[in-house]
Amino acid sequence: MTGAPDSSLSREGSLSLEGVRGASLLAPSFDGVAPVAPPSAPVEPIVRIDHVSKRFGSGPLVLDDISLDIAPGEFVCLLGASGCGKSTLLNLIAGLEPVTSGAISVPSTGAAVMFQESALMPWLTARRNVELALRLRGVPRSERREEALRLLGTVNLADAGDKRPHELSGGMRQRVALARALAQDRSVLLMDEPFAALDAITRDLLHEELERVWRATGRTIVFVTHNVREAARLGQRVILLSSRPGRIAREWKLGGTAGRRIESPEVSALAAEITTELREEIRRNAA
Amino acid sequence: MPLETVKIPATAAAGDELDTLSAGLDRLQSEEDQRSSAWRTIVGKVLPPVVLLIVLLVAWQLYVVIAQPRPDLAPGPLQVAAALGDAWESGRLQEAVATSLERGILGFLIAIAVGTPLGMLLAEWKVLRRAAGPLISGLQVLPSVAWVPAAIIWFGLSDATVYFVILMGAIPSIVNGLLSGIDQVPPQLRRAGVVLGASRWQLATAVILPAALPGYLAGLKQGWAFSWRSLMAAEIITGAGTMGFGVGTMLQQTRELADLAGVLGTILVILAIGILIELVLFGPLERRLLRSRGLAPGGAR
Repeated sequence: MTGAPDSSLSREGSLSLEGVRGASLLAPSFDGVAPVAPPSAPVEPIVRIDHVSKRFGSGPLVLDDISLDIAPGEFVCLLGASGCGKSTLLNLIAGLEPVTSGAISVPSTGAAVMFQESALMPWLTARRNVELALRLRGVPRSERREEALRLLGTVNLADAGDKRPHELSGGMRQRVALARALAQDRSVLLMDEPFAALDAITRDLLHEELERVWRATGRTIVFVTHNVREAARLGQRVILLSSRPGRIAREWKLGGTAGRRIESPEVSALAAEITTELREEIRRNAA
Repeated sequence: MPLETVKIPATAAAGDELDTLSAGLDRLQSEEDQRSSAWRTIVGKVLPPVVLLIVLLVAWQLYVVIAQPRPDLAPGPLQVAAALGDAWESGRLQEAVATSLERGILGFLIAIAVGTPLGMLLAEWKVLRRAAGPLISGLQVLPSVAWVPAAIIWFGLSDATVYFVILMGAIPSIVNGLLSGIDQVPPQLRRAGVVLGASRWQLATAVILPAALPGYLAGLKQGWAFSWRSLMAAEIITGAGTMGFGVGTMLQQTRELADLAGVLGTILVILAIGILIELVLFGPLERRLLRSRGLAPGGAR
């Protein structure tokens, strides 16, 4: 919440695929402030997606030659219309699906994943759900309870540990799911439209919650969404995918993201710009 | 962050008083809840069946008193009770109930021990499932009494015949219950298990089996019903012979003596045992299971 002025949004023009990584071509920001070089550029990427293509069986190409490097601690939003393969890309990173060609390198421990539905075990209390993740990670029994309570504390649910999922609201369930994902102790966290099913007020609060957790834990987050404002609100980088086949259409890099709110003017401005681009992509499909 | 600022006054400013107040309120509410729900349980659930039972008995007795049918064709409730009393005094009733329950429960436990791994195997091994699925469904429909003649030829009039028939009745139900339970496990739970890094064994024991428990329990319940029916059928057909004296045997013997009061009494005993098992075992188990998952109508709160 310090120094960086609100207007220090910058973007990287990267219509072509090779432009994504180099970060050499920095176009002026839409609001006219000189772009800030991304601090993550020289760092070894934690996730490297290298010319990845994907098709299911003999079907059409879903993802076409995607290349993307994600630096440790980065918050990347994958944005696109329905059917652009953004969830497929996430599943590829998670290792739930094999790639058709290309390569993906992730940390050897793998990545934690969170879905649109909380997918909590309905017969376990919130704490037990988190403990299950700890157990599957190999944490000794004696330490699980305390660790689970600590993790529930990080999502402000320390008091709800003994409640079962059906006794919790949708937002609380997603926070338990977040605590469970954090329990895996993996540096990369993949989120597949985790707040899509929630009402706007809850989602707004969860954005703040997630940003707080992200800053506190230093996780690398890849966040898939079809909500332009959500992407503009959360991401340090917003990557727009085109549809059928999914390609990286454009990328925005944002500096000084602390203190952003969904109603902040720079979020609105960026969202408007992204929307224009997104509509352009959709229009292309009509032709 | 606003989230923190919301939290701080709740813990610091309002302090202990709020804690005690809310704790007191919680206790008051939960106590009132329990009392009303216990009272409602008695009025809503226990009373109607008891009233119906009394009405049926009274109607039966009135019919006997008013219509005066031949007592050997239509005995009254008092005669039936007397017949049961006789059987109790001679010790035959207790022996029959003990023998049948022992057979039924033992056979049921064996069926669980065989059916559960079989169901898991079928659920995990798709080819086997496709091959054996229709057979299992068919066996579930086939009345297990049909096995009695074959079992008598194979095993003679021994306990083995009875257990064989019980197993043939109960195992397909248990397998099918487990299979449908596993089929109904939401795919996202399975996926969550995989994502959390569960091995195949951990996925089965920590995710799939607990998630399949409601379906499995339904299968067990049906399996018990089939066990009990098969047992009665087997006991009636085989008669006493060299085997122990069960309720079905008692039914067959009273029939041979043309003792209709005894026959009806025995039928009531068989019925009562079925109801009792449902009331004390499966009912509460099922309710607890569903309630803990928020599936029971009327929920946990």
